[in-house]
Amino acid sequence: MVKVFSNTESFNYSWEEVSTANWRKYCPWNEKSTHVIAVDTLSRTVDPATGILRTERLITCRQAAPEWLKKILGGMEESQVLETSYVDPAKKEVTMVSANLTFSNLINVEETVVYKPLSDHKTQFSQVAKITALCGGWQRIKNTIEDSLVTRFGENAAKGKEGFETVLAMSRRVFAEEREREKRGTLQAQAINFRQAQTA
Amino acid sequence: MSASLAPECNEVKERYDTCFLKWYSEKYLRGQGGTNENNECAAMFKEYQKCLTVALKDRGIDKLVEEAREDNKDNDALYLGRK
Repeated sequence: MVKVFSNTESFNYSWEEVSTANWRKYCPWNEKSTHVIAVDTLSRTVDPATGILRTERLITCRQAAPEWLKKILGGMEESQVLETSYVDPAKKEVTMVSANLTFSNLINVEETVVYKPLSDHKTQFSQVAKITALCGGWQRIKNTIEDSLVTRFGENAAKGKEGFETVLAMSRRVFAEEREREKRGTLQAQAINFRQAQTA
Repeated sequence: MSASLAPECNEVKERYDTCFLKWYSEKYLRGQGGTNENNECAAMFKEYQKCLTVALKDRGIDKLVEEAREDNKDNDALYLGRK
């Protein structure tokens, strides 16, 4: 049996802004994702035929499973997820597929997230998670594990949106400041050139 | 930017991440990205990978990643439009 969790949200930012901020979704600006302790890039390529950017990231989480589930699965402190993402700049679509590396012989969690534009200033986020408990044994226990994880996804979805909103806002501010600095730099350079031209 | 799972790789990772983000927003999204192998971040990425590969091996994560890659082949076909 596979349990499915799905959720759709929208963000009032352009697809370009969202797809950029997505790379730092788990940075310290996001106070709602403290369970993510590290994000490492394992590989990154641009497909020459399609221009699609493919990235593999290893996401390390502090174990956030409920106590009883930890007892069944064993007491590991950290768990890892492999996220493979595809950015299609022509279609303006980001697809991210994440699968758990830890306990993958006991349980499979595959999450697919898609970001695509709704308009020039609005981007849709859609998420589907498929959860399958593989452990041979009682169906009832498997069901409980699956249900518990589906509930967890629901709780995290709301926190995820809130956290990403903060990252988007910070991202926009930082980019604006950077543009402002670059503009000031150009103006200063122009002024110097102008003065030099006058005194020459 | 987020940390690396290996603290000893944090510095090279931070440098690469900053470079990548600039490349992504200023070049790639504007159709001027070129390939990932010859862009301005390539050398930093290599340095970061050199550090990270050792850390993954030490922790035995490299094998888990290999297995997950196998499982992800269908997604590559689907999202990269390859056969």
